[in-house]
Amino acid sequence: MVVLQPDPFLNELTSMFEHSTENGSVWVTLKRSSMKSKVKRNKMKSAGEVIEYRCLIRATDGKKTISTSVGAKDHQRFQASYATILKAHMTALKKRERKDKRKSAEADKKQEGSKKRSSAAKASV
Amino acid sequence: MVYITSWDDFAERSIQLFRADPESTRYVMKYRHCDGKLVLKVTDNRECLKFKSDQAQDAKKMEKLNNIFFTLMARGPEVDTSEVAGKEQMEQPAKKGRGRKQ
Repeated sequence: MVVLQPDPFLNELTSMFEHSTENGSVWVTLKRSSMKSKVKRNKMKSAGEVIEYRCLIRATDGKKTISTSVGAKDHQRFQASYATILKAHMTALKKRERKDKRKSAEADKKQEGSKKRSSAAKASV
Repeated sequence: MVYITSWDDFAERSIQLFRADPESTRYVMKYRHCDGKLVLKVTDNRECLKFKSDQAQDAKKMEKLNNIFFTLMARGPEVDTSEVAGKEQMEQPAKKGRGRKQ
């Protein structure tokens, strides 16, 4: 597993999302971690040292795993960029169901049209 | 293992699970673009809470939960998360303030 700085991690995550549009999934895990081994943690505990925790972020597409960590000072900037990436790539989710059936039917047609266009574009590439 | 259907129930229970054991609880998000599906999982390796959706509005709710978990994990489980949503709103006018300095 590669531990990256937050910004390169976000770039890699973006490319994972871009490469998994036709098939495959992306997993992102958040975990509170001290980034130290259990042995070291135990030593620190017995020495009475304060163990510092960070938020460990791991991402995988099933082939490759990347990770990074953010602390109390820099997590807000990271979570804002992360939210932007998710918003930009989670485009396959359904919009709220409309009460007006005619409108939703039109929207479906539009979606189909754009799908065809995008798949045609991909085929030509 | 059953999916929790209510978002509020899932969010509340997952935060409780994390607070009960911060060191072994993880929060996983799985997104499958080709099927348009989103699955969230919170587990401490004993109990497992899952939520799935194909709705864009749930992605917005997830963003808030992401922020709560980032805050809890980076700052500590004692931190009050009730102000997490409020902070974002406060940041925006602050940014405007910086822009006006000409």
